[in-house]
Amino acid sequence: MTWTCDQVEARLSDYLDGLLTGPERAEFEAHADSCPQCVPLLASVRSLVGEMHAMEEVEVPPRLVYAILDKTLGPRETVTGWQAFLQMIRGMASPKFAYGAASILATFVILASSLGFSVKNPKIADLRPANVYRNAVREVHLVGARGEKYVSDLRVVYEIQSRLRQDDNNLQTTPEEVLPKSMPEKTPGQTDDRKPNQPRQQNRADQISHQLELLAAELPLAGGRSIR
Amino acid sequence: MEQDAQLVQQCLQGDGSAWEELVRRHTRRIFGICYRFTGNRTEAEDLAQDVFLRVYRTLGSYRSAHGGFATWVTSVTRNLLIDHYRRTKRDRVTDSLDDKMAVVENKESAGRRPDEQALLGELSGQLQNALTRLSPELREAVILRDLQQLEYAEIQTVLAVPEGTVKSRINRGRIELARILQQMGVRPA
Repeated sequence: MTWTCDQVEARLSDYLDGLLTGPERAEFEAHADSCPQCVPLLASVRSLVGEMHAMEEVEVPPRLVYAILDKTLGPRETVTGWQAFLQMIRGMASPKFAYGAASILATFVILASSLGFSVKNPKIADLRPANVYRNAVREVHLVGARGEKYVSDLRVVYEIQSRLRQDDNNLQTTPEEVLPKSMPEKTPGQTDDRKPNQPRQQNRADQISHQLELLAAELPLAGGRSIR
Repeated sequence: MEQDAQLVQQCLQGDGSAWEELVRRHTRRIFGICYRFTGNRTEAEDLAQDVFLRVYRTLGSYRSAHGGFATWVTSVTRNLLIDHYRRTKRDRVTDSLDDKMAVVENKESAGRRPDEQALLGELSGQLQNALTRLSPELREAVILRDLQQLEYAEIQTVLAVPEGTVKSRINRGRIELARILQQMGVRPA
């Protein structure tokens, strides 16, 4: 049986909400898809429902909750003195607040220590702006000097290592010096201007002492002097 | 036990923080219903406060066996809205779709400030305007179903009418709302 416009209109929401099934759905669609009055009606209601479902929530007035609480629980009493302090402490008794407070406290302790304020032996004079500035400048210089020394030491170690490596390479590749045949035989007591031939071990010892001289020249602070 | 029901029990034992939690959980929804029904933010604020005041005073009468706390609060809201509507009926220009009325410009929508209109958005504002032109029975059904997304069974409890009546009101409300928007010259997307 073909549905009428009134029947379609009466079951329109059931159709949109998916409550029509089987033959009823087929009959509904058979009419609603072809009737010149029901086609736009179905389209407009379907669109309207979609718009309403997509509407954003209404923004609540910011003070409404407090107004409701005032009306029901009564205006909140203002407490003073120790009661206010205890109420504030109770409000802080949450793990989140405790962790935050501990982090901030640790940050302050670290900053204060770096600015010269001793936690174990606090002095009011350490809080004076001039002292804070002086301590801050001193700490900056100390950090800079320590950094410079560290880099310098690293460079020296690198130099020594590279020279020792070079020295090892030279010893392996340089052939043993051979006395020229034209050189006269040396006898005890005889001296000449030529440098005597140096044995291999002496060459090695001389090179090591040369390295040590270089090391001494590079390490002016190697005597254990402290910067502080 | 439902969390709301648990909070209610704590409230009845004198726990003010439990009541505060209940208020925070339901204020947005109740204010939304009041605003969609009245179309006026000031009236909606006052009515929302009255709702919670009544809920606070009659909290002892709530029974979880009769349904969720949210449904109960919605029922209280609906009753207050209808009472308010009847009290202010004589002050209104139009009552229902049966009255002949001219198409009102969107900017002149009753009870809404221009800044509210801008905030709502054009179509949303026109939709709100059209909602306030529905009869209260159809208006509340459409608000609860399409704006508050309540199930039919829940709406049946709130309105205290049979499910068939709920479906009929929702259907007629949607159709009339679509016709009002058409008369206003608004084409939903």
